[in-house]
Amino acid sequence: MRPATATWPVTSEGGVNPGIAIAAVAVVSVATAVIGFYGLRISRTTGDFYVASRTVRPWWNASAIGGEYLSAASFLGVAGLILLSGTDALWFPVGYTAGYLMLLLFVAAPLRRSGAYTIPDFTEARLDSRAVRKVTSLVVVLVGWLYIVPQLHGAALTIRITTGLPSWAGSVAVVIVVCLTVAAGGMRSITFVQAFQYWLKLTALAVPILFIIFMLAGNGTPELSPPAANPTNAPPAGLYQNMSLLVALLFGTLGLPHVLVRFYTNPDGQSARRTTLIVLGLLSVFYLFPTAYGLVGRMFAPGLARAGQADAMVLLLPGELVGGTAGDLLSALVVAGAFAAFLSTTSGLVVSLAGVISQDVLGGGVGGFRLAAVISAVVPLGFAFMTDSFALAGSVGLVFAFTASTVCPVLLLGIWWRGLTDAGAITGMVTGGLLCGGAMIIGAMAGAASIPAWLAQPAAWTVPTAFAVMVLVSRATAGRVPKTMARVMTRLHTPERPLATER
Amino acid sequence: MTRVRVTAPTTAARPAQETREAAQESDVGQVFVRSLIRSQLRLALVVAGGFLLILGAFPLLLAMVPGLAETRIAGIPFGWLLLGGGIYPVIGLSAWLYTRTAARNEARYRDLAGDQ
Repeated sequence: MRPATATWPVTSEGGVNPGIAIAAVAVVSVATAVIGFYGLRISRTTGDFYVASRTVRPWWNASAIGGEYLSAASFLGVAGLILLSGTDALWFPVGYTAGYLMLLLFVAAPLRRSGAYTIPDFTEARLDSRAVRKVTSLVVVLVGWLYIVPQLHGAALTIRITTGLPSWAGSVAVVIVVCLTVAAGGMRSITFVQAFQYWLKLTALAVPILFIIFMLAGNGTPELSPPAANPTNAPPAGLYQNMSLLVALLFGTLGLPHVLVRFYTNPDGQSARRTTLIVLGLLSVFYLFPTAYGLVGRMFAPGLARAGQADAMVLLLPGELVGGTAGDLLSALVVAGAFAAFLSTTSGLVVSLAGVISQDVLGGGVGGFRLAAVISAVVPLGFAFMTDSFALAGSVGLVFAFTASTVCPVLLLGIWWRGLTDAGAITGMVTGGLLCGGAMIIGAMAGAASIPAWLAQPAAWTVPTAFAVMVLVSRATAGRVPKTMARVMTRLHTPERPLATER
Repeated sequence: MTRVRVTAPTTAARPAQETREAAQESDVGQVFVRSLIRSQLRLALVVAGGFLLILGAFPLLLAMVPGLAETRIAGIPFGWLLLGGGIYPVIGLSAWLYTRTAARNEARYRDLAGDQ
């Protein structure tokens, strides 16, 4: 156990050495910026970008996708939720990974072959309609903003718990670092930054927990409570909640705006599949560790759940169980990994949002892109100040529900169904967005505890409704199927001709 | 230093794609394309369905056999091992099978359509 926290010059809430925590945050921020700017010198023009994109190895690319995907919810939220809810919460890591399986099965190769760079590009090309593009852009921007908010909450929590500084400092720090790197153009070399951050996140989770496990096993420490024991009196989630969550995670992943952009760096459809296969392996390895944190926390430190900040469990566990200098160093590693998670996901989202906003609202141009990047990062900062952080994994789960009810139907039907029309796509997206968004707003107003399960976790009914509306309206407006449909479908599904040099 | 924004071509597809699509505009070509799309969709649905069945079977197994979830293997309850670790190999295997078969479907299409 650790000595009293009062021996340090500044006292932080969680007994983590504040100086070391601030140093860890600073190192990650600087490393991100440096790798970003270094990469900028390599790829400077669109031509460079495309040439580079063909030489990006699948392993680099897959690491980058993993780095961008693993957010605050994966790094902090999943372990916290497992600590609170036990095996029920294991559906979160399983769902996050299985969502990528669905992406591989239904979306990866056709989307790469479409040649689209953003989701609005795809829907416009597929349905030959500017109106669809506008609606998709709106939905994508909303999804991105909603997804950045929990990242900022995670940063606020991390800074408050580990350094004792006020919460807002964490959110503002993330927004400033992201704005600087993205607006300065540094994130053009996003692949290398994100790939670095995947391996940093994996190390930062794996090393401390393995150390803890070996230490506990070596000392023969007896467990404080059995893993099945509920550390708090909160009731477990019911069957409906788990099912609905799984629907949201399975179908939400394939509509995330920052995920699609990464597929463009694959040279062809088949390599997009191979990359996704590697991503699945990387995610599977990663999610073993939050699960291990949750289990160790339940068995050896159930007190962390009762303190009311289960999301901070990953940050506090090394200090709680190891203590001393070793505990400080392990905590610093975890803090660094957590910041990498906030930075990589936020910057990935800001880049894809800035692309959409600058193209559709500000009329393009580098200046427009910079302004759009600042807008994309600052608006969610306002949301983050207005809302309270409650279970990170839960609030990200709701964003997945929103994506699954809006972007997912239009992507799946657009890729696999010839009958989709622009009218169907728009009404379906609007219906899904209003239903799911309405449930989220009511839930946020009423407070998480007092609303029924079907409102708290709406995906199970909003996703089928959005699909049904999209199909029925498309059927009713069958005359509006675009003339380019057969040609686009051919492009989406037929393999690229092998280049002469390949054979 | 020149800086440009990277965007997708919004109107015309690239030349390579043009030839790829033009070659398939005939009725026969479209028959091949439709059959490729059908077989890929069937494959994706079968893999997804199989995976979801196994996913559903895991908690069912734990619920049906009393005490199984609490049985310890190397100090870890079996329920945790199964849901926290055992599902990932299933995901990986499904993904690998799908990738292989999808590439095979495309190779068959290429053989058929390439001979026109």
